[in-house]
Amino acid sequence: MTDIDIYPTRDLSYDFLGLRFESPFILAAAPSTDNLEMVRRAFQMGWAGAILKTTSIEGTRVDLAYPMMSTFNHDGKKLFGMGNIDLISEHHIDNVEYNVRMLKKEFPEKIVAASIMAGRKEDWQRLVERLEAAGVDFIECSFSCPQGNIGEDPGKMLAQSIPATELTARWVKEAAKRVPVSIKITPHVTDIVEVAKAVKRSGADALTASNSLQALMGIDIRTFVPYPQLNGRSTYSGMTGPAIKPITLKTISEIARNVDIPILGTGGASTWSDAVEFMAVGAGVVQFCTAVMHHGFRIIDDLKSGMSQYLDEMQFGSMKDIWRKALPHLVTHDELPRRTVRSHINDPLCIECEACYVACRDGGHMAIDRRPTRIPVVSEDRCVGCGLCEYVCPVEGCIEMRVQPMN
Amino acid sequence: MLLTPQQAVTESQRCLYCFDAPCTQACPVHIDIPKFISMIKSGNVIGAAKVVKSSHALANVCGKVCPEEIFCQSVCNRAKQDTPIHIRELHFFATQHEAKNGFASLREFPKNGKKAAVIGAGPSGLGCAFELSKLGYDVHVYDAKGLGGVPKNSIPAFRLSEEELGSDVDLLARHFHFHETSVDSEAFARIRQQHEATFIGVGLGLDKRLGITGEDLKGVYPVLEFLERAKENGSRSNFGSRVVIVGGGNVSLDAAATAKHLGAKEVTLVYRRSEMEMKVWKSELLEAKKLGVQMQFLAQPMQILGEERVRGIRCRRTRLSEKVDSTGRPVPVEVPNSDFVLDADAVVVAIGQQIHAEFVHFFERTKQGFIKVDEAFQTSLPGIFAGGDAIAGEGTIVQAVAQGKQAAHSMHEYLKDRN
Ligand SMILES: Cc1cc2nc3c(=O)[nH]c(=O)nc-3n(C[C@H](O)[C@H](O)[C@H](O)COP(=O)(O)OP(=O)(O)OC[C@H]3O[C@@H](n4cnc5c(N)ncnc54)[C@H](O)[C@@H]3O)c2cc1C
Ligand SMILES: Cc1cc2nc3c(=O)[nH]c(=O)nc-3n(C[C@H](O)[C@H](O)[C@H](O)COP(=O)(O)O)c2cc1C
Repeated sequence: MTDIDIYPTRDLSYDFLGLRFESPFILAAAPSTDNLEMVRRAFQMGWAGAILKTTSIEGTRVDLAYPMMSTFNHDGKKLFGMGNIDLISEHHIDNVEYNVRMLKKEFPEKIVAASIMAGRKEDWQRLVERLEAAGVDFIECSFSCPQGNIGEDPGKMLAQSIPATELTARWVKEAAKRVPVSIKITPHVTDIVEVAKAVKRSGADALTASNSLQALMGIDIRTFVPYPQLNGRSTYSGMTGPAIKPITLKTISEIARNVDIPILGTGGASTWSDAVEFMAVGAGVVQFCTAVMHHGFRIIDDLKSGMSQYLDEMQFGSMKDIWRKALPHLVTHDELPRRTVRSHINDPLCIECEACYVACRDGGHMAIDRRPTRIPVVSEDRCVGCGLCEYVCPVEGCIEMRVQPMN
Repeated sequence: MLLTPQQAVTESQRCLYCFDAPCTQACPVHIDIPKFISMIKSGNVIGAAKVVKSSHALANVCGKVCPEEIFCQSVCNRAKQDTPIHIRELHFFATQHEAKNGFASLREFPKNGKKAAVIGAGPSGLGCAFELSKLGYDVHVYDAKGLGGVPKNSIPAFRLSEEELGSDVDLLARHFHFHETSVDSEAFARIRQQHEATFIGVGLGLDKRLGITGEDLKGVYPVLEFLERAKENGSRSNFGSRVVIVGGGNVSLDAAATAKHLGAKEVTLVYRRSEMEMKVWKSELLEAKKLGVQMQFLAQPMQILGEERVRGIRCRRTRLSEKVDSTGRPVPVEVPNSDFVLDADAVVVAIGQQIHAEFVHFFERTKQGFIKVDEAFQTSLPGIFAGGDAIAGEGTIVQAVAQGKQAAHSMHEYLKDRN
């Protein structure tokens, strides 16, 4: 017996890229979208859309190596960061075309997108044409697969070259007669704004920012073989998951502040509040990969419920009210206000661990003094207001930074 | 104890988020426990409360007093690694957060034009009434004692406050018509006539008697009367300084703890078997012991002493025999020449209950005298369904709610088939 719904559901739908999204929550190109049955299940469970895992022209060799996963286990959070040495899908365009057709037929209201990767101009264009014919809603182009590449320059990602990015994006855009195209870029560049401008110049409709980060996930300190371990060998991984969220936020905001182009956010989102943050710095929709690989499609329930609750609480009429809300607050360092700030310890909340004391003593300005009561006290003279202690303190609200009145 | 937000988040982070989770299976109303816990973790506390409340009509009541040690928490997989998740406390944290911030508004339940009756407004009746209302029925609830049943009238206030009960029933009450009246045989016949389907959730309510001399002396109380009086009069109640409780179940422990809370100096529990055989939740036993309740195990009351008022109770030692009874527990036998007297200003008899409602004579009943139902909770009278303690003896709130809910769906099916 399933329970009867007793609460009204809030409409989270809105338009983006000329398409109607049921909610901002879509699946990123990854294993979860590489199989028809899995995407079906995701749609039935409430995901608004999916980007089918990156496909290629028939005959393209995809030479996978296993095991491909590893983790950044931080402080007991096993999947704080996740590493993979996966490549693009083993399924070629014929298979993906079929999946697009089936999914659009069964779920006309869902967004069905596909990700592509190729080398030659005609292959890029052929992929676009065939997907358009199959009825895809938009196309994402992987310019940033961190392992292997089919670009001109071995060991380099397409999106690391500004001319190559612009040129290839132009080919794709030229072929796309009906549907929008998004270019999935990498944060591994000196100036992300330059890349975004190149995409904009190409005429492509949007940017997907960004992708996994190249990383060395860890090393077995007894055998010295790094992870993942393949019979004594290893290689660099693409790191995803919560650990990369701050980097993605920076990438998205940097693009949004400088280039007028729609952005699809990906990289480190696990919860509805992460999605709010992504949208607040300029993402139009938010893609999920690692969080789904960890907990399954069922996380969609909290994503939608939490987002609805949040909109109610903020009295926002639409999802779009979140868009870019954080950007006006972002300035360069020299534009920041210069004020006198002092740390303040709320004595009644203190649990006497003295963590703030030792942090300030050895990593701050020796501005916190011990007391016989074990409740530390901040020296007004020595405290510069750096804010370290606030984050070291295990008790929420115990230490706060107070702005001193001007004198 | 209500968790602080920080405690709740820390505890929620320990949850393994099992798939097809054993905790959910073990919960009689099948609350999606990993889901609501993950919502607490993500900061979506109202969403968490909604998950709980979508499955459970008495979410706050059970958040406070559900015996998690026999349900969800007893099967928590985390316990295989270290200690189980404090599921009930997380549940209560979420539902209280919602109750305190104003009930989230419910959607409209389109009416289907049919009338249904619910007799008894305890957990089973309320569970059924709310479910019927979700299904579109015009629901009429009858109970002489207000809304809440045992949780309202008998569960001691120090375990479940009026506000906590209110945080559930205030919301439910908007979804049916309430008639504050007792239902006798005549009224039952009338209600049956006027409604397309009827649910009986009359619970038990009648204390069993010891059947020994002195039971009618002043100061001897059937346990429900004792608990109800204590709840009604609060700290003004006075039962004297030495209280003897007879019985070995949770209800006797509640009575013992109540006596202690009211200031009795010596509270003694007399039970004819040993601690092993008590049908109690460990947490309640521990609590009673902590309060200083003394236990006289292997003792059988023989006579209540006193002229007009009780002054003591004569008991006889027992020992456990090889024979077992229908509950699988060894039968106690009396030890000759072992009588002893406990002084008492009050004696509380808590040895079980029977159905009180007089109209149950209409129904076929089980050997123990409970209303007989089939697997769809239908009684021997077509169109009349029953659930809760009245069909199986003293159970738990969550089981009663679950049965009321299931019965509502059976009633719905029953009426569908007839149209
Ligand atoms: C002291 C005590 C403590 C308990 N503590 C817990 C606990 O902590 N946790 C837990 O899960 N369970 C506890 N239980 C068990 C739990 O309360 C019951 O299993 C549950 O209340 C059963 O619900 P019910 O709806 O079947 O019956 P009840 O709660 O008994 O409700 C029946 C209702 O029917 C009404 N009624 C009876 N006859 C008529 C009539 N003729 N006309 C109209 N109305 C009528 C009564 O007034 C009553 O309100 C406790 C029980 C007791 C006695
Ligand atoms: C195992 C694995 C395979 C992936 N395969 C692809 C792929 O084929 N194409 C692509 O564009 N991105 C691929 N990605 C990247 C994801 O789409 C996503 O951008 C990335 O995981 C960051 O998001 P997350 O932190 O939500 O996981 C893959 C990621 C993982 C973990």
